[in-house]
Amino acid sequence: MSAAHAEVASGTRIKGIYAHLDCLLAGVEKLKEAGISGFQVLSPLPRHEILEVMYEGRPSPVRWWTLVGGVTGINTGLLLTSLTASQWPMINPGGKPVVALPPYAVIMFECTILFGALFTLAGLIVHCGLPGFGLDKSLQDPRVSDDKFGIAFLRASAKDLERIAAILSDTGAIEITRGDDTIYEVPNA
Amino acid sequence: MHESIDANRPDSYAAANRDIIRVLLKPNLGWAVLFIIATSMMLYGFWCEFQQLTWGLGIAGYNPPIMWGVYIVTFVFWVGIGHAGTLISAILFLVRSRWRTGVYRASEGMTVFAVMTALLFPVLHLGRAWQVYWFFPYPNQRYLWVNFKSPLMWDVFAISTYFTVSAVFFFIGLVPDLAVVRDHSTGLVKKIYAVLALGWHGTDRQWYHYMGAYGFFAALAAPLVLSVHSVVSWDFAMAVTAGWHSTIFPPYFVAGAIFSGCAMVITLLLPMTYAFKWHAYVNMWHFEHLAKMCLLTSGILTYAYGVEYFIGWYSQNAYEWGIFSWRATGEYAWAFWIMVFCNCVAPLPWYFRKVRTNPWALFIISIFVNIGMWFERFNIVISSLAHQFDPATHAYYRISPIEYGIMIGSFGWFGFWFLLFLQTLPAIAIAEIKEMIAPPVRGAAHVEAK
Repeated sequence: MSAAHAEVASGTRIKGIYAHLDCLLAGVEKLKEAGISGFQVLSPLPRHEILEVMYEGRPSPVRWWTLVGGVTGINTGLLLTSLTASQWPMINPGGKPVVALPPYAVIMFECTILFGALFTLAGLIVHCGLPGFGLDKSLQDPRVSDDKFGIAFLRASAKDLERIAAILSDTGAIEITRGDDTIYEVPNA
Repeated sequence: MHESIDANRPDSYAAANRDIIRVLLKPNLGWAVLFIIATSMMLYGFWCEFQQLTWGLGIAGYNPPIMWGVYIVTFVFWVGIGHAGTLISAILFLVRSRWRTGVYRASEGMTVFAVMTALLFPVLHLGRAWQVYWFFPYPNQRYLWVNFKSPLMWDVFAISTYFTVSAVFFFIGLVPDLAVVRDHSTGLVKKIYAVLALGWHGTDRQWYHYMGAYGFFAALAAPLVLSVHSVVSWDFAMAVTAGWHSTIFPPYFVAGAIFSGCAMVITLLLPMTYAFKWHAYVNMWHFEHLAKMCLLTSGILTYAYGVEYFIGWYSQNAYEWGIFSWRATGEYAWAFWIMVFCNCVAPLPWYFRKVRTNPWALFIISIFVNIGMWFERFNIVISSLAHQFDPATHAYYRISPIEYGIMIGSFGWFGFWFLLFLQTLPAIAIAEIKEMIAPPVRGAAHVEAK
């Protein structure tokens, strides 16, 4: 493997693979205690313990996208119905007012849900970085979608490298790789 | 078959992956036979629609004033079928019901394909299908806009919103599982699944926002479950037609939709579970819950049928009482009594645990429910139009061969998509199944399955 590829921006990649969830959690906590940040955790499923230790209960900002979508939707529903009815006020079915809120409430409700869902989708795509085809190769580890966990640094500073490796090793990582070796190649693929 | 959620569950995440994706892209003889049957039915339906486009709506069985026929009946039937998926995936997710995990993906798939089928019928019913864009509000030189005060326009918005939100919810749930399939594939198949998985790699950032968004999708989809069939019911209840003009319609329609949807989930998932030997993931524990849901909603429906008659009698409105007594004794009494038997009587044996845990009994009764729910819509739509206020307008409607063909074609269309789904996408949610498995631990901490 070429050493040139191992350098990402101003740091070095290092990755630990774990077979056990408790070991992974211990690794994350030790790294935090040591004041080391800038790592990502890889997991085959959404474990609340991992999200708790990584995000400390902070809610995802996706919720703001949902709120903006819902507010946009209800206003779109109101404006679409009211303005189009006002443009041709002679059509007055059933003797109802030109702008009649009870029947328009159904359209406003549907638009609220529709826009809320589409904005949530947009928020998910933006915050998750989807599509993630350009995600660093060391994070693209097929063992993670199977049954393994991982802690990956894309830009670990040289002075922290040995401390990180020691923590990963002490907490039970079954494999620790550095540089281009963090890119997992499927055997016989 | 096992009777507990914990029975025979695989002990590792990798085993769950293997079990669920091993059936993908490996069609067997049974699947191929079903697929050919479904495709043939679908093609026959296309041929019938071609005839209708060529000769016009005259070859359908419409007989004025009965201008809503099998197409509207079948439309409401398929919208109802589409209810269970989102109920199971969204509402049961919000209330943290554990039994949804094994069955929700296939139910969501069923929902999306059922709504795709339902969406065909307003177009078929139009006759001049090429003018379908008149449904939608679009700017035009004559300043003519759609009438937003019409329940038919509410329906356009309700169904298209339901389809969009259900499809998004379905796809978002699939993304982590598609990544599993990608990582277990090679060559061109791997490339296709890689595109579908949107570069998902299970980073904490991805899971964090994913879980945040998933909860909101569920919260947004949950009210849709209740609203969609309420809006469909207003297509009828807003009209001043005896037998339709009733405030009981929204809850009555929603209960009926959940009833038929859950029955269809049983009809589809029972054979799937046996064919794919997925008893570790979907077993009698799940089917029993579905049967209980059907029992509850069957009770609500039976009550609603009774209340309709009570209102007809107690209101002393001659037209209301006229239509309800005619439904049970007139020319369409056969449809009424099929409905009553299938929806009110046939599910009763499910009160016995032995019956609701017997696969054959579950399957056969669920078929009765599906038939009964189609006849319920037939009963509502046709009989009220056939027996309106003026006796001079009373008429009889016979389903024409072309309408039968299109209805059969709709079942073929639905089967075509569902069978394709079973072969190409994980029909059980892998990531959520993993949440049910105790995580691998070395003993340094105590971590339990959710």
